[in-house]
Amino acid sequence: MALVTIESEITGNVWKIEAAAGTATEEEDVILILESMKMEIPVESPEKGIIKEILVSEGDQIQEGQDLAILDTGD
Amino acid sequence: MKAAVLREANKPLEIEEVQVSKPGPREVLVRPVAAGVCHSDLHFLDGSYPYPMPTILGHESAGIVEQVGRDVTYVKKGDHVITCLSAFCGHCNKCLTGHLSLCASPEVSRAASEQSRLSIQGETVHQFLNLSSFAELMLIHEHALVKVREDMPMDRAALIGCSTTTGVGAVFHTAAVEPGSKVAVIGCGGVGLAAINGAAIAGAGQIIAVDMVDSKLELAKAVGATHTINASSGNAVGEVIEMTQGGCDYTFEAIGLKATAEQAFQMLCSGGTATVIGMIPVGTMVELHGVDFLAEKKIQGSNMGSNRFRVDMPRFVDFYLAGKLHLDEMISKHIKLADINLALEALKTGQEARHVIMFDQ
Repeated sequence: MALVTIESEITGNVWKIEAAAGTATEEEDVILILESMKMEIPVESPEKGIIKEILVSEGDQIQEGQDLAILDTGD
Repeated sequence: MKAAVLREANKPLEIEEVQVSKPGPREVLVRPVAAGVCHSDLHFLDGSYPYPMPTILGHESAGIVEQVGRDVTYVKKGDHVITCLSAFCGHCNKCLTGHLSLCASPEVSRAASEQSRLSIQGETVHQFLNLSSFAELMLIHEHALVKVREDMPMDRAALIGCSTTTGVGAVFHTAAVEPGSKVAVIGCGGVGLAAINGAAIAGAGQIIAVDMVDSKLELAKAVGATHTINASSGNAVGEVIEMTQGGCDYTFEAIGLKATAEQAFQMLCSGGTATVIGMIPVGTMVELHGVDFLAEKKIQGSNMGSNRFRVDMPRFVDFYLAGKLHLDEMISKHIKLADINLALEALKTGQEARHVIMFDQ
């Protein structure tokens, strides 16, 4: 099992969570959508895997570099 | 209604039939008359700024109020308005300290749990920057528009919705340029030209326009540049330092590149301020020579000209009608919505000013 932590590249709010823990994802599937400076910014899966844990909730304020989700790539 | 829908980065927009929700209590339905095709739209089209899809781009428009929500008192059906992406809540810390353009309150957009403002047969269409103006109708928060006088031509008014406010506002508000000062503007697209025009209105003594396209440098002269530099022919930083005998009090970067942001800082005299307006791609780092801070050189960002748009935009309209703000020169072509992809392609070449979509009324 290889775990990949997905971090935020920006400071903003969590607008929508698109994939719950346990969801199978392909590379570039949208996991959640952040809102920052009026922009909606999708956070995509960096590779194929299964979402092990979502670390934030809708409406949360998040900082640049903050952990958002953990992906199990199964390697 | 018809709208230009983006379903995948780097693919043409497609004209599709899109459903618009009914106005919520504080929402306004606007029928756009004109919409500018802005270079910022390209950043989202090419994926350098990722955005959820499908979406409808466009964020620079003027139109007429069609319908208002039950709690809206600011506008009524028939009012002429300019839209602005700097929607403000009016009661957060940023708003209450005068920084309305930095308001990050989610209440100006619909929550993820609500019906989306835009959809295609039940599929959510993500509203772009709370606006999405490449469409025959816009459903927006009442704090995303400003009333303007009805003798203002709508195509010119549309430009005030983004490029003018961004460029002029960066000069007036973010940098607060002093009369008589020395200014350089890197990049002479719509925003850079607006910054040059703003510097002229602010009374700057020397205004140097920097670009790599001669036709844009000619436009820069028409809107207030006192000097021009074609950066493709040599060392723009060195030329600015020489022309100003030591550097500028204020520089503005209006492209969105690491190299030009760094050049804007290098062009400063001691105590000068560089303002980065351009959208530098996510993940890009900017490098500065640390010793320059001993000379009190400063660098700062500017988002939408640090605007207070309900105050600023009617003033810009007055500036235009008084002949001080040059908007006629900014429009290179009027097009139909169906020709949107041609306009976006033209923007990529960097050779033209702005195309403006005119909607059938």
